[in-house]
Amino acid sequence: MKIVVLVKQVPDPNAVRFDPRAGDIQSGTPQVANEYDLHAMEAAIQIKEQQGDVEIVAVSLGQARETLNRCLAMGADRAIVVEDAALASGDSAVTAKALAAVLRAEGFDLILVGQETSDGGTGSVGPALAALLDVPVVSNVVALEKQDGRLTVQREIEDGRQVIDLAPPAILCALSGLNEPRYPSLKGIMAARRKPTEAKSAADLGLADDAAQSRVSWGQLFVEEETAEGIILKDVDADSAVDQLVAFLQERKLV
Amino acid sequence: MATRRVWVWTELTDGAPQRPALELLTAARGLGEAAAVLLAPAGDEAIAALGAHGAAVVYHGDDAIYTQYAVEPQVAALAALIEAEAPDLLLFPSTFTARDVLARLAGRLGAGVIANATSVRFEGDRLLATVPYTGAYVATVTLEGPAPYLVQVRPKAYPVEPVGGQAEVRPVATALDPAACRVQVVETVPQVAEGPNLEEAEVIVAGGRGLGKAENFRLLEELARQLGGAVGASRAVVDAGWVPYSYQIGQTGKTVKPNLYIACGISGAIQHLAGMKGSKHVIAINQDPDAAIFEIADLGVVGDVLTIVPKLTERLAGR
Repeated sequence: MKIVVLVKQVPDPNAVRFDPRAGDIQSGTPQVANEYDLHAMEAAIQIKEQQGDVEIVAVSLGQARETLNRCLAMGADRAIVVEDAALASGDSAVTAKALAAVLRAEGFDLILVGQETSDGGTGSVGPALAALLDVPVVSNVVALEKQDGRLTVQREIEDGRQVIDLAPPAILCALSGLNEPRYPSLKGIMAARRKPTEAKSAADLGLADDAAQSRVSWGQLFVEEETAEGIILKDVDADSAVDQLVAFLQERKLV
Repeated sequence: MATRRVWVWTELTDGAPQRPALELLTAARGLGEAAAVLLAPAGDEAIAALGAHGAAVVYHGDDAIYTQYAVEPQVAALAALIEAEAPDLLLFPSTFTARDVLARLAGRLGAGVIANATSVRFEGDRLLATVPYTGAYVATVTLEGPAPYLVQVRPKAYPVEPVGGQAEVRPVATALDPAACRVQVVETVPQVAEGPNLEEAEVIVAGGRGLGKAENFRLLEELARQLGGAVGASRAVVDAGWVPYSYQIGQTGKTVKPNLYIACGISGAIQHLAGMKGSKHVIAINQDPDAAIFEIADLGVVGDVLTIVPKLTERLAGR
């Protein structure tokens, strides 16, 4: 059985700061593995631990060497990175097409991916990819069991949970409730050095120029409404902070 | 130029159209001729409600195949309908099912997509949407190329406006054999409705990781009670299991626009801000002076939430 795990390297969501003059995020923002993708990775490893004969391939689009190394150290068997500026538009349709090309060439029984990325956050890559590969997709996955060739999956919905039955090949989009991603062991980190990471370009994937054509373009970031600057109280003791909070609430007629 | 045809993908709760669909009909009327697409068994009241909110046409697929997480049957029917009718734009609300249907449909059609829009307009043949990015920032995102465009819109970006009117109903044929549905819902386990109705609360006191541990949510409950408000939470603490998912505010949780939002120990990650940015007054209390939440706070206090919150509750109680 082959499981492909899709991972992305994103700006650290807890460290993102904006450069208002550039209208973009500050350069040098630290990059981290997208959190949900690590839960997808962990799910793949757990399946492998349970049933043995499983190959895990970690696939990423865009700069992701550190993230892929982490996946290899966690337990992936090999990695594929698609590094091509022509595919870096941020248009989720282009992302899905490029990933679909990798997956068609690679073959798969199961695809695991984080529900959404912390930067784009559209949650659309899993279902869009499912359409391109013509396989079923289940989003918001919080529990997963594989038995007798079928998958029993629990997914979170707005007001509860659904239990779903389906057969691979399929795409499952992981939420963090699915598991607790392991930290790579020293042994895993050493082993990862000998595992192969293959780099591919759009041309390698046979993607025509129009496949990489983004239909979405992002303008500069700006502040929507020029609201009065907020007041930030620093170095005040708790009692005077409370005085000011109460004054604020009274002034704005909130109490 | 011919009138643009704008469709609103609609979901029902207890037989009535969900509020976000009615909001999107307001947006659709502003852009051209509004129609609703309703793929679900539905009664006359639901159709009438869509008409009364501005849908000139309701495309109705009256088939039980659509009732349970039916992404593939939905996409099959929508793709056939789009091919036959050639609309200019489809608007989707920000629910989980809407997201999955939109994304799968986009993959199938190769259509241009924008998610998380807070406003939508046309400029010539291009579509321009405002999309929040983080903190106080937004970007204008442009979509071009052949129609239809697919846009997912945040809740409460547009008002619900009953305009009176009657919709013409056009039946939609089911495009997928039930036997071809590869995803089968075996069971639905409803979550017992816990906690307050965040979406309607005028005051929300929300907590994040800065509270330290689950037990400290009690402090927020006491403050909320004093203010007649509800308690919400950031994703981090829902993921940690401190409070149920129904408390979650943010991109993957609830979108709220209360009169007063008090963020306690919340750093203000992108996803959280997306769900509460529209709040009228924001107070933030956080130990970390660099927390992003301060960028959008009207009043911020850099300090210990576990000391300040109980003191504030006490003062308000003794008023």
